[in-house]
Amino acid sequence: MTPTDDTSPPSGDDLRTLPDRQLTNDELAGHTIDELIDYYDAGLMPPNDSIDTSAGCQLALADIAHLRQLTMHLVDDDSAAQPPVDEGWITSILSHIGAQVEAGRDVPVFGAEVDSRVVITEGALRAIVRAAGDRVDGVFVGRCRFAGDLTELGAPIEVEVEASMLWGQNLMQTAELVRENIVADVRRHTLLNVVAVNVVVQDVRRPSHVDEGGDGREGNDGGPEGSDGGRSRGRGGREGNDGGGPEGGGDVSGVGGTGGAER
Amino acid sequence: MFVAKPGLVVRVPLAEADDRTLAGRASDGDVRAFEVLIRRHGPLVRGYAARLMGSTDEVDDVVQAAFITAWQQLPTLSDPAAVKGWLLRVANRKALDRIRARKYHDDIDDESRPPLVTPDSTSPEALAEHHAVQSALSRALTELPELQRQCWLMKEVAGYSYDEIGTDLGLPTSTVRGLLSRARTSVIARMEPWR
Repeated sequence: MTPTDDTSPPSGDDLRTLPDRQLTNDELAGHTIDELIDYYDAGLMPPNDSIDTSAGCQLALADIAHLRQLTMHLVDDDSAAQPPVDEGWITSILSHIGAQVEAGRDVPVFGAEVDSRVVITEGALRAIVRAAGDRVDGVFVGRCRFAGDLTELGAPIEVEVEASMLWGQNLMQTAELVRENIVADVRRHTLLNVVAVNVVVQDVRRPSHVDEGGDGREGNDGGPEGSDGGRSRGRGGREGNDGGGPEGGGDVSGVGGTGGAER
Repeated sequence: MFVAKPGLVVRVPLAEADDRTLAGRASDGDVRAFEVLIRRHGPLVRGYAARLMGSTDEVDDVVQAAFITAWQQLPTLSDPAAVKGWLLRVANRKALDRIRARKYHDDIDDESRPPLVTPDSTSPEALAEHHAVQSALSRALTELPELQRQCWLMKEVAGYSYDEIGTDLGLPTSTVRGLLSRARTSVIARMEPWR
């Protein structure tokens, strides 16, 4: 540890480093910068009269807000300043992880009438479900979970998948296609008794390659827009949409409605 | 208005999927989804690690190790939508490990490491004020003592709490508060001319 890493709190003297304006405890009405930062982080709650009415504190809070903004810019700039991602570097990571897919439970694929036992792993089953859902236009399947005893042949199994859909898609129809594909593919590959496929639409993307007439909204790249809203759940293959009612009606599901329901 | 009709082929690359979808798939074993996450957040994680380590030396190794660990630990991530911040934290731990190892092995030749390149060498004419201010912040951070810088980055960029910083750095929370206090005072003072 270097001497400058002295861990005691700064004294009043330390604060007098500003060239033009002194951030002394007097100026800050007896408050400290740390107090003000914590106050700022708490959303200026609960209201503190002494801070709110001190000109020095208000200046310092403006500094803090400004610095926060600069920090976010700095992080963005740092990202942008990185050399292009090296393909060899990525390949090396992928080669390390390729063999480490979590297998999960063993899922029997054939009945007891067959002498030898054939199983696929839960991980492979997830891959089948993913691929089945992805075959529906505009759909990406996210996390996939199974409820029920996968290891016992014939036991009722529920599949729950998260899905990202495309803005403008009829979410109910699309979810139904996802369900049909998943049921069909799982039946094709296994003897699992799938009794329900629940589709949770957790993201509605604006397609980045479609010109929407410049309304200022960009393609959803992990942002909050449209996320975490629509839950389209259907059980036992039945049509169902009990989350965030689409406001558009007709063929077009209102993204504002589904996306905004729980924001 | 764009309407996707059933049957109309709308093939979009996985790179357009949101973080939550990708993290969910990756935690289920989809290597391709994880690759998209690496490409999307690799530069951010690399930039952060370089700041934390105060050097671009070894940063590729650290970030690589971070992503490998992240792949193994993804199934434990409770909120896949928060994968970006979570990746920063995984990288944070890897970088701290590396810093500790470095201290142990070559405590003496501290000055031999290549310094973090800050963009203050560009010609002044070409610099918009934005860049000048950013450079000032960049320099202010670079010139902070190592522990102060680490605390500052963990708090302000990676969103750690005081307690969490203390745990990861092996310091009492009160010490973390003191270090942060100094770092903040010093950064704010250095940024004063740019207000």
